[in-house]
Amino acid sequence: MAASMRLLLRRVIRLSHRYNNVTAAGGSARSGCCWGPSTCRCFSDVAGDRSTHFGFETVPETEKAKRVYKVFENVAQKYDTMNDVMSLGIHRLWKDMLLHAMHPQPGARLLDVAGGTGDISFRFLEYVRSQQERQKRRTARSMQTPSSQDISDNYSTEDEDTSQESRAVVCDINKEMLNVGRKRADSMGISAGLSWVVGNAEELPFDDDQFDIYTIAFGIRNVTHIDQALQEALRVLKPGGRFMCLEFSKVTNPVLARIYDAYSFQMIPVLGEVIAGDWKSYQYLVESIRKFPDQEEFKHMIEDAGFYCVKYNNLTSGVVALHSGFKL
Amino acid sequence: MNMAALLRGLRAGRALRGLAGVVAAPAATKPQCSSLSRGFHRATLRLQDDSKSDKPPSSSSTTSHEHYQAHSAEQDTAAAAHEDSTSDPAADQASRLNTSYQDQGGEQGEEYETEEQLQARILTAALEFVPQHGWSMEAIAIGAETLGLSSASTGMFYNGAGDLVLHFLAQCNSQLTDILAEQHNQVQLGQAERKKTADFLRDAVETRLRMLIPYIESWPQAMSILLLPHNIPDSLKHLSTLVDDIWYYAGDRSTDMNWYTKRAALTGIYNTTELVMLQDSSPDFRDTWNFLDNRIQDVVQMATTAKQMQSTGETVVQGFMGAAITLKNLTGLNQRR
Repeated sequence: MAASMRLLLRRVIRLSHRYNNVTAAGGSARSGCCWGPSTCRCFSDVAGDRSTHFGFETVPETEKAKRVYKVFENVAQKYDTMNDVMSLGIHRLWKDMLLHAMHPQPGARLLDVAGGTGDISFRFLEYVRSQQERQKRRTARSMQTPSSQDISDNYSTEDEDTSQESRAVVCDINKEMLNVGRKRADSMGISAGLSWVVGNAEELPFDDDQFDIYTIAFGIRNVTHIDQALQEALRVLKPGGRFMCLEFSKVTNPVLARIYDAYSFQMIPVLGEVIAGDWKSYQYLVESIRKFPDQEEFKHMIEDAGFYCVKYNNLTSGVVALHSGFKL
Repeated sequence: MNMAALLRGLRAGRALRGLAGVVAAPAATKPQCSSLSRGFHRATLRLQDDSKSDKPPSSSSTTSHEHYQAHSAEQDTAAAAHEDSTSDPAADQASRLNTSYQDQGGEQGEEYETEEQLQARILTAALEFVPQHGWSMEAIAIGAETLGLSSASTGMFYNGAGDLVLHFLAQCNSQLTDILAEQHNQVQLGQAERKKTADFLRDAVETRLRMLIPYIESWPQAMSILLLPHNIPDSLKHLSTLVDDIWYYAGDRSTDMNWYTKRAALTGIYNTTELVMLQDSSPDFRDTWNFLDNRIQDVVQMATTAKQMQSTGETVVQGFMGAAITLKNLTGLNQRR
């Protein structure tokens, strides 16, 4: 009884401090949050609903998904513009590096979870198409003087190729983001091999052993139960399939960390307010980055879920980390 | 107060139940993950020493299937236990370390294999497709698919085609070592006669080069991959161990400068013969073996010539000294007046 009163008081204080001195409040709120959920859990285990973090706030787990949905519903229209502005266009490089590390072979099937506006899937399809073009060009060059046998073989292999088409499935919990993505695909003229599915990362609407590659780019920190999402990833991947996760992480360099913190907490919500008219969503964005586990811890979580050969690369000295694991 | 104690008891009970479930969780290969970050070539070499036996493809696919089934079965129990004991990660870790697993050294009937073994299996399967696709990621992807793995597993090979070529080198070298060891045993048992050094070297190099014959069309591509800067240390290491092994089984136990000169000579012979083989079009590479014979004869001859030259040189010097003293005597410079 006394503990719950203490908790309520702490939340009131936190809310009042929120928009003033953000970094200081962030520090105390972080420690408060660390303390809060464990005592909350003590009582809530009996009550039946646990609580988790939503940015620097503490919310019941059932509510987090709803609030995340609302955040992305609000930002969906201006999502891509804001990405470019906030990261100064560097997010394109990060996504290109993800594709480069993925190095998909022709015929691979991709599941892009929290794919939203479809950046990864578009890049994937383009990559595979250009690889196939290169291969066709190579075989054409080596077959400058084809014999009649070669020509007949070519006809038979052309039929096989259509079944080997790579496919990308974009899965997102938020219909607004998928709508924006679909419009983009139409305007870019990409339609073949792309499908859009509404689904929750913790409970994917797919059968086991379906996909070669599972990617989740800048989405896993919004998931309420990260370990469940990882286990779902393991389930839907084929044996030998690869799990790849691009996510904001801890900056390794202390000087850069301070600049990054200042930029995140001072600039980004302001940009959000000016360009998208939404301060709170972008406040949630930068806070949720701070709450996400760091590179090593996330690597252990992936290993715990059952992936092997788990590795991570730091991009832009730790602002973004690319984790990769295999289902063997 | 009692509420807190009751809750603590509940949590402890749940943790214990979680422990019991997690004990069955697979952990053998998890600590191995970090070892993979150490040089991959070393892992393949170690692997080649461990698991010389090549499992036939059908049985290997069934064992890997069992592996996946067992793995997924344990995943379910681990997942169920995990939800209960979310508050005790430290205890989980301890239980995983405590479970004892037998050797990961690639025994035939073992349920779990290490990541390095799986990678070696994929690369061995990929070798079959090299004549068609060259030394490339496509060959590795098709190799993985024949083992029932997705083509995305090629992502495990960060060196790409280099991994495939180095794996092939390691495999050939270990095969050669086996053959030489077998021959050595036979000589020890008295079942075969001991060959002369020149003949032994020729046979060893010929055996090793014959292993390249199935891949001879694409071998120039492999050589160019081996010459890439990040592959040079590994390829040099393979070459030096190869040459060292051949000389060891030839009976060389020298401990002086000869150790280096012999290995340098054999390295030269091996490399030049390999290059000749690449552009040889005679039946069964007859020209290459003739070239090899000539080079070995050259080396042998050079050794004897060197010795002769040394002794000749000494005699010549002595002759000159004698002539000089005679001259001095004749001109009377030696006389003491």
